[in-house]
Amino acid sequence: MKNLLIYNRDFENEVFKKNISLCFNLRFILICMLIISISLMILIPGVNALGITPGRTTLNYEPGLEKEIIFSVLNSEEKPLKIQFSIEGELKNYITLANNSTEFSALDYSKDFKYNIKLPESIAKNPGLHTAEIVALEIPGESLQGTYVGATVAVVSQLYVYVPCPGKCINADLNVQGTDLQGITTLIVPVINRGEQKIDETKAKIEIYSLAGEKLDEIETSSASIEPEKRTELNAKWKAVSEGEYIGKVTVFYDREFIKFEKKFTVGEEILNIERIWVNEFRLGEIAKLRILVENKWNKDLNNVFSTLIVYDNRNAEMANVKSASEDIPSLTEKELITYWDTAGVEEGEYNGKLIVIAEEKSTDKNLFLKVRKDSLDISGVGFAINPEGGEGTSLTTILIILVILLLIGNLAWFVFFKRMRKKKK
Amino acid sequence: MNKHIKIIGIQAIFLIAVLIVIYFLYPKTEVNVNENLVDFKSINANVIIISENPDFSNPRYLKIEEGGNAALNLNPGTYYWKADNGIIEGMKNEIIIKSEVGIEINRTENKSELINIGNVKINVTRNEEGVLVGYVTLEPDESKEIEDKGGYTGRQAG
Repeated sequence: MKNLLIYNRDFENEVFKKNISLCFNLRFILICMLIISISLMILIPGVNALGITPGRTTLNYEPGLEKEIIFSVLNSEEKPLKIQFSIEGELKNYITLANNSTEFSALDYSKDFKYNIKLPESIAKNPGLHTAEIVALEIPGESLQGTYVGATVAVVSQLYVYVPCPGKCINADLNVQGTDLQGITTLIVPVINRGEQKIDETKAKIEIYSLAGEKLDEIETSSASIEPEKRTELNAKWKAVSEGEYIGKVTVFYDREFIKFEKKFTVGEEILNIERIWVNEFRLGEIAKLRILVENKWNKDLNNVFSTLIVYDNRNAEMANVKSASEDIPSLTEKELITYWDTAGVEEGEYNGKLIVIAEEKSTDKNLFLKVRKDSLDISGVGFAINPEGGEGTSLTTILIILVILLLIGNLAWFVFFKRMRKKKK
Repeated sequence: MNKHIKIIGIQAIFLIAVLIVIYFLYPKTEVNVNENLVDFKSINANVIIISENPDFSNPRYLKIEEGGNAALNLNPGTYYWKADNGIIEGMKNEIIIKSEVGIEINRTENKSELINIGNVKINVTRNEEGVLVGYVTLEPDESKEIEDKGGYTGRQAG
């Protein structure tokens, strides 16, 4: 009996030891996996992100100019971060940074820093652009097995100092302001007088070419005078054949001199126009077939155009995200994109949505308002429009001038009235 | 003397009345700037006039919808705006949209992507041991597959 008990105890001990060993092995494997995962997470960080604002600060040279400039570093990923600052560029010896390095905690999204610039008199002899760069470099974090060897990121806040040229000189650019309802595009040539002298007249000629190099048109802008260091905008109207990309060859004449440059520009903000969205037969709970009529306003064919419809519930959470099949849409034509939305589980009500049409890395979106009923689905678009015309109110200055005139007339009337009264009395 | 006081009184009343009318008719507008997004809220303006020039040459007109809101994305720069309700054109105001240079390296199992997360076009240079070995220009939100080594430096282009 005693022997049997001993045997049983030995057997239990052995089973216990085996269980312990199995548990230990399992734990060991789990711990190993955890360590490997953590090491991998540390060793291969998913995202490195860094931002800086402003990207550029522009100053006009003044003798003895001293200035304090504030910039912010953005910890876009909101994670612990070490940043090292350095100064580079031609003007680096004239810049003093308040900090050489900094640390961000996961709670810091943005931190402000400053630097001082004291411009030397010597740069006045060299008209034109002088630059410096404040570089914010992310220092890689240290992992359990040393320093991570992947790519590092750095961002730059530039300092541009313009020294005026002794005579007349300008900087110019070409921008598109917009296209009105009649299809007329306003082209803007902003001109900055970088010289010490006033420019009495500046004017530009824009030669417009297709991307294939064919000359399409030649237009002249308005003219203006510009004081030193000031900016003006010359504008010209042009009716484009179609929306799309063009090349503008610009000649800006200023007094008896001129500069030439060329720039690619785009007419039309949207390459695709969402014309109409409708559903033929709708029954709540079934799959709805949505037809989206899309117009290719571009001057070239667009391939693989597709749409994504997102519907948000009352808490603004996504309740549907459906994609259409891809279609090729030839230039200046319309085509229907078909999207299917399974409305099972959707309740009657009013919902916000967004329709995004994507083509060749460009997209057009439209905010929608969906009214879902048992037998109907009404979709209406909501948006903000920028118009080339508007604003018919009277300015405050005009109102005050009218007020002063009225008071003057009133006082004059009283004055004349009293003079006449006095004469009568006499 | 009494007549003079009366005249001054009438003028003062007239002036106050005009100022009260202006106060009530004045297009009252608030603006919130969040990165590139400019959001206007107004109770009695129809249109926001925006220009890059203080003299409002080449203006753009932003229509305020029924709810009293209007929003638009602006490129970095200095803008001037005033509200208008068809009766009174408000005073000139200024908005500054700061340029933001931002880059992100997004790593997945198969590839690494460099993304422009700022609001301006950027030039990104790639350096290895202090030597410039590559260069790419990215528009906002544009991305490009990269080699996950070296140093990537982003600066405002143009």
